[in-house]
Amino acid sequence: MIEVKDLKLHYGDFVAVNQLTFSVKPGSIYGLIGPNGAGKTSAIKAIATLLEPTFGDILVEGISVLHQPEQARGVLGYMPDFPPIYEDLKVWEFCDLFAQAYGLSGEEKQAKVLQSLHATGLKEQMHDLCKTLSRGMRQRALLAKTLVHEPSVLLLDEPAANLDPKSRIDLRNILKKLAGDGKTILISSHILSEIEDTCDSLGFMRDGRMALSGTLDEISRQKDRATHLKIHLLEPHPALREVISKIPSLSQVEEITTCKTKFRVSLDGGEKEASQALAKLVETGVPVSEFIFQKPRVEELFLELESAPKEREKK
Amino acid sequence: MNPLIRRGIRERLRPKNLVASGLFSIISCATLYLASFFDGMQQVIPANESESGLPELISMPVNGAREAFTVLLVLQGFFLMFLGTGRVASVTAEEKEAGLLDYQRMTPMNPFSKILGYLFGLPAREYFMFLITLPFLLHCMVVGKIPLLNLFQLYAVFFCSVILYHLTAHVIGLVVPKPRAASWVARLAVLGLYVFLPVLGQAGISFLSFLTILPTYFGKIVPHLLAEGNQTLGRFERQVVDFWEEIPFFTYQVSPTTFTFVMQGLILLALFATAYRKWRLDSLPAFSKPMAIGLFGILQILLLGSLWPFFSQGEASGLLGQSLQLDPTKAGLPNQLKNDSLPAISMIVVQSTYFLLNLASLLLLINVCCPDPHRQLKGRQRSGKLGMSRIPALADEAPGGLFVCVLVCISTVVYAVLHLLAVSSETVQSVAPSAQSVLLPGLVLLFTALALRAAREQWFNLGFWGFVGLLWLTPMLACLVLAVDDFLGNSQLMLNIASLSPLTFFPQLMVFLAPDIFPDPNPLINLSTSIKIGVITSAILAIFLSITLFRTLKK
Repeated sequence: MIEVKDLKLHYGDFVAVNQLTFSVKPGSIYGLIGPNGAGKTSAIKAIATLLEPTFGDILVEGISVLHQPEQARGVLGYMPDFPPIYEDLKVWEFCDLFAQAYGLSGEEKQAKVLQSLHATGLKEQMHDLCKTLSRGMRQRALLAKTLVHEPSVLLLDEPAANLDPKSRIDLRNILKKLAGDGKTILISSHILSEIEDTCDSLGFMRDGRMALSGTLDEISRQKDRATHLKIHLLEPHPALREVISKIPSLSQVEEITTCKTKFRVSLDGGEKEASQALAKLVETGVPVSEFIFQKPRVEELFLELESAPKEREKK
Repeated sequence: MNPLIRRGIRERLRPKNLVASGLFSIISCATLYLASFFDGMQQVIPANESESGLPELISMPVNGAREAFTVLLVLQGFFLMFLGTGRVASVTAEEKEAGLLDYQRMTPMNPFSKILGYLFGLPAREYFMFLITLPFLLHCMVVGKIPLLNLFQLYAVFFCSVILYHLTAHVIGLVVPKPRAASWVARLAVLGLYVFLPVLGQAGISFLSFLTILPTYFGKIVPHLLAEGNQTLGRFERQVVDFWEEIPFFTYQVSPTTFTFVMQGLILLALFATAYRKWRLDSLPAFSKPMAIGLFGILQILLLGSLWPFFSQGEASGLLGQSLQLDPTKAGLPNQLKNDSLPAISMIVVQSTYFLLNLASLLLLINVCCPDPHRQLKGRQRSGKLGMSRIPALADEAPGGLFVCVLVCISTVVYAVLHLLAVSSETVQSVAPSAQSVLLPGLVLLFTALALRAAREQWFNLGFWGFVGLLWLTPMLACLVLAVDDFLGNSQLMLNIASLSPLTFFPQLMVFLAPDIFPDPNPLINLSTSIKIGVITSAILAIFLSITLFRTLKK
């Protein structure tokens, strides 16, 4: 569990993070997104006990990061946005160093090192020197090191930045598995599709503040955005627009193609309203072949937020 | 084993590295050691002393080993003190910049173990190279008949110095905000602290000399390195050995080894405490306020102890002590000075050195312990949140007004003790028995410290160091230009300008307060004018900056 309350961080007279409040539940993955300089990395570093906030509270697993940083570090796993590693160590030695530093020893240590190398797909490279690894491989080594002591809270700053598509899929699966095991995961990323696929809830940061936070649906509602349905028909139906106009939750019918069989319709509501609308369409004889509940895209929300005027606060 | 030491061994002592560094160490050591050993071993017996009546060349391995010892020690120092210190400084700085220190900071290992891991892990290869030289040392000890106890003392101090240098480099790597600058700052600091600062030991402040291995080397080893059959030291050697043989401290005589251990131990303690804080949280100041007051107090005790013999009996160690023993008529004083002014000049030198050391310490401690606007804001918000009416006086975030007053009080009390000691002494005649001799320097020190504190607390680094540079260095540079233009004609103007900088004000003040050392009144200069300018400027600056700080904080 991560709880951030009213967090404020200054760099000199520059306010990097301002009144940031959010929480991440155990077993969930929370994505922090925002433009460069939004304060994502600063916020993650403050949670990781590496930056001392000017104000506010941070609790990880109920431990105050400000007052008990040493205890908090025991449950945290942190992976920074750049993958610095000990160049002259072998991959297994790199993990072994941290396993030992986290108090593991003997067979347990060996098992955990092998397990983390296996989980990150580095078993074959375990005897290579870190300096010979590609950037993507370094990222994996770093993740292996982060996982080696099995932290209950993971803070990952741009974890997929240097990974190839296969590695990204692997990473997504690893994170989902870890979340399934009850770990609390906080990710910051610029790769919006990755965030959308991986995270249960999101936080949009801008100018050091949390502009929006919640699940994608909640954010959509906060932004007063309509959800969309994609409706494909077997054949054109002349009374489709009339039928739709009679369903209160549906509005704004747009043709996606000219063949009059693919439409995009605005939905006022969530999955329940979508299900009712589908029942009504079928009932009135509309030949529906595909009915897709389209969630709002993170990308769209991000762009919308980006285009709003800036209001960076200075002290 | 400490995982960081293990990491150092793994990183730097792989078989290839072992072979390369081992070969380098053994070849360089064998070459230098054997060359000096064979050179020292050959001894010529003059014709009048030889049985055959002809000059004879005989072989004396004992002398060879003794001559080779110093070469071996220098090489060992090169490996551990030069290469090792550079390695610790550069790697700490690089890892801080890359973010690797953050990984380590986040592990639940005790900060003390992390410090030890870095100290002994990073220079693993240098320690290995040192190990390679040990057979030569053994040969040297056995053949050269160097007493084991003395050798043990020397190497105990040697390792203490090595750890001190490495820890200094590590702390600087942790403290310097710009990591790229850290390795240079570390090298300069090691040079400054352990090479240049000990030179002040020659000006009577003997404790500063004991930051290096030299006192133990000269005091304990040099007398045993004389050639067999020649048990007398040369004049220079005698002076050097005398200097290090026993250390006057208060009214006691302390052995150089003990004194070196105490000195280095104190510095190690301070550095460990700093590194410990930095390992806990990078943003913490290097010293807490109580720790800074404690360190300043210890420094003052050391200064008091070292200067005690000088102020009570007019005796000093080092070059100053030697010059005081000279016949005043042969001292080579300039014609403008009185023949008997040597003790007074020595007093001015010692007093000025004392105040310059105090200024440097105050600058360092105020810079570290007085909170910048950001930290103060943090403290105010936190205390507000906790329902406290104000920030606790000794917290890192607390304003430093009380803190600087305490430091200046300690310093002034110590100076007052020294002054009273000199006034009550029958042998020391070079101090004027007036209250202003203590009050005036104390007051200017307070004004300077308050101005520094106000600057530190209202400006960030650039503003603070810009202010210090402008106030402390620019007047000296202006004087330099004026001196080149017309030294005699501009002398009063130069004094007036120089009095603006605390660095040049205190020597002037000491000359002003000293009994007259000039045979005739000098028509070109009037010290009282420049002293007034200095005192008034420092007072105005302290008041003005304190008011602006008060206004800034009120906002």
